Amino acid sequence: MEASATTVAGGRSALERSPASRLPDRALKWGLSGLAAAILVLIVYFFIRLIGESHTVFSQYGLSFVFGNDWDVNRNIYHGAAMLVGTLITSTIALIIGVPVAVASAVFINELCPRRLRQPLSILVDLLAAVPSVVYGLWGVFVLAPKLLGGEKWFARTFSFIPWIGGGTPTLYNYFIAALILAIMILPIVSAISREVIATVPAENKEAALALGATRWEMIRMAVLPYSRPGITGGAMLGLGRALGETIAVVLVIGAAPVIGNHLFAQGNTFAAVIANEFGEAQGIHVSALFAAGLVLFILTLIVNVIARWFVSRGSHGARGTGATGMTIASTDLSEA
Amino acid sequence: MKPRLIALIATALALALVVAACGSSSKTTTGSGGSSGGSSGSSSSSSGSGTINGAGSTLAAPIYQQWGSTLKGQGLTVNFNPVGSGAGQTQLEAATVDFAGSDPSLKPSDVAKMKGAVLQFPVAAGAITVSYNLSGIKSGLKLDGPTISKIFSGQIKTWNDPAIKSLNPGMSLPSSNITVVHRSDSSGTTQGFTTFLSDTDPTWKSSVGEGKDVKWSTGTGAKGNSGVAAVVHQTAGAIGYVEQAYALENNFTYAAVKNSAGSYVLPSIPNTSAAFLGIEIPPDLGISTINSPNPGAYPIVSQTFVDAYKDPCKDGGASSGTAGALKKFLTYAFGAGQQTLGQGSNQLPYAPLPSSLADKDNTQLATMVCNGSAIP
Repeated sequence: MEASATTVAGGRSALERSPASRLPDRALKWGLSGLAAAILVLIVYFFIRLIGESHTVFSQYGLSFVFGNDWDVNRNIYHGAAMLVGTLITSTIALIIGVPVAVASAVFINELCPRRLRQPLSILVDLLAAVPSVVYGLWGVFVLAPKLLGGEKWFARTFSFIPWIGGGTPTLYNYFIAALILAIMILPIVSAISREVIATVPAENKEAALALGATRWEMIRMAVLPYSRPGITGGAMLGLGRALGETIAVVLVIGAAPVIGNHLFAQGNTFAAVIANEFGEAQGIHVSALFAAGLVLFILTLIVNVIARWFVSRGSHGARGTGATGMTIASTDLSEA
Repeated sequence: MKPRLIALIATALALALVVAACGSSSKTTTGSGGSSGGSSGSSSSSSGSGTINGAGSTLAAPIYQQWGSTLKGQGLTVNFNPVGSGAGQTQLEAATVDFAGSDPSLKPSDVAKMKGAVLQFPVAAGAITVSYNLSGIKSGLKLDGPTISKIFSGQIKTWNDPAIKSLNPGMSLPSSNITVVHRSDSSGTTQGFTTFLSDTDPTWKSSVGEGKDVKWSTGTGAKGNSGVAAVVHQTAGAIGYVEQAYALENNFTYAAVKNSAGSYVLPSIPNTSAAFLGIEIPPDLGISTINSPNPGAYPIVSQTFVDAYKDPCKDGGASSGTAGALKKFLTYAFGAGQQTLGQGSNQLPYAPLPSSLADKDNTQLATMVCNGSAIP
């Protein structure tokens, strides 16, 4: 083939395309590189801007901004430990409640549910992601919080011997209500990723388990879950990232008390909530303190996302559909449809 | 499948862009960093003469919206963005709006940050009610400043506390717990309420103080007047502070509060208006209607101001047409606009200005100029 290629005047192979016809290729390459770089630049700019704006507070308080416990706007004292603790508590409880439900729904949809129901059920779970977060918050205010208060009181009384869980007097808005709403909000992403990951478990593994006489449950426990664990963990971490940054739903049901609640049903505050609540009227160093809260939140979510990436890449065999964005999930859903 | 997917993503992106564009054009910057202020400055200077823009007080937002819809029929468009009093002042500093709505009067430090001389005009007042949810006690509860302060600082925990009982002899108060409800967001309502408590109770002043955000030692925080209203409504034994308009709307039961003359007064519109009388009126009209000495006045009343540049053309970057529109708006606000406030069914539940104060507003308005010469 090579030998029979004719050459034209310029000494260029006739099979080679003219430089002009490669232009779209080059434009595509540079265009896409530019767009990708723009995202990076934006994040870096974001980070630098946050540091710049919060500099006043950090130079005054240092790390005690994060670890000191006193937030009194009126006296210009900004120590955000209560928000840090609140952010971590609500997100952690959201994971404890949300992830088992999400994984269970994924296992059910993939392994146990009748084939006809699979698609509708997946869509229903994904639909939870389409509900605006403020709607969850309002639902919390008008339905969940008042309806659950009685149950919470009973629970706190009955299990008063368990430290931190029981013993206190539940308030209308508290960590638990916020965490419960967050749990529902992270359900779709964790469930969608788990579903995709579980779908990649090779049929051979499952058949082998069944052939060895395993029951359905044993097959799920021995073949499905271990294979998909890294992917599920990654999904849970992405859910955690969502929970850490969730703002408006939490604002409405956290109670906004700048203290570290001493039990599960006590009210507190989170970094995202304090920014949303106080930014409108903030002036001077207060603005700087809220930017600092944003910076801490930014770093927190960054760490969580890095850990999530690490989990996902470590178990690369289960990585299909574990993209950080909903896009991969959306695309797989579409291609199935 | 693939092309469909790409089309879908493209549509989503396009939609996102459109939404982003609309979002950024419809609301002016909240003036957080200060550096971004200039970008939206065109709104006040270049747009047509019949449009003025304002931002600020959430308390007074319904008033400006109502007036805006009335004036629209006369060819004057008034856009008001309820971003909060502090943010409104910041926007006036950056001259991105023609007027700011602010509940507190301007402090010297605020005035210093402005581009030039600023006028403040009292336009109305709203009462802050102490609303409660006690089945069986629909009316007649009396409270005074120190008692309210003890309730909101958690020292009084039950409804039948001796302090409440002694103010309400003969009333059968339940032994149930008091649930305190306060604002979780920064608010002029909190400012007005805590100013009243600081004025009447030295302990409150030294322990909590007054401000838009204070450190509450008890109770539940809820977002906005409607948030507090919702919690009070849902929780038996709850007490919270809510703006008059919301309390009237929700048919709340609210307490009569002891004023500085020693009488217990309910937050009705006439009693709120009465707060304007008898107070000291400084030359810059920076009045405070909290704890008015008038014997008929409800004590927890927050006034609200319009702040504008004395020379909107030179300092605010307005065209002479815009300055004329601003003057027309303010003339309406102190005149016919006051008729839209009151307790009638077609009126907004805010307290109108007494005519003496409206006259002072008009006198001050006459000093407003455009590039040094009078505005027609």
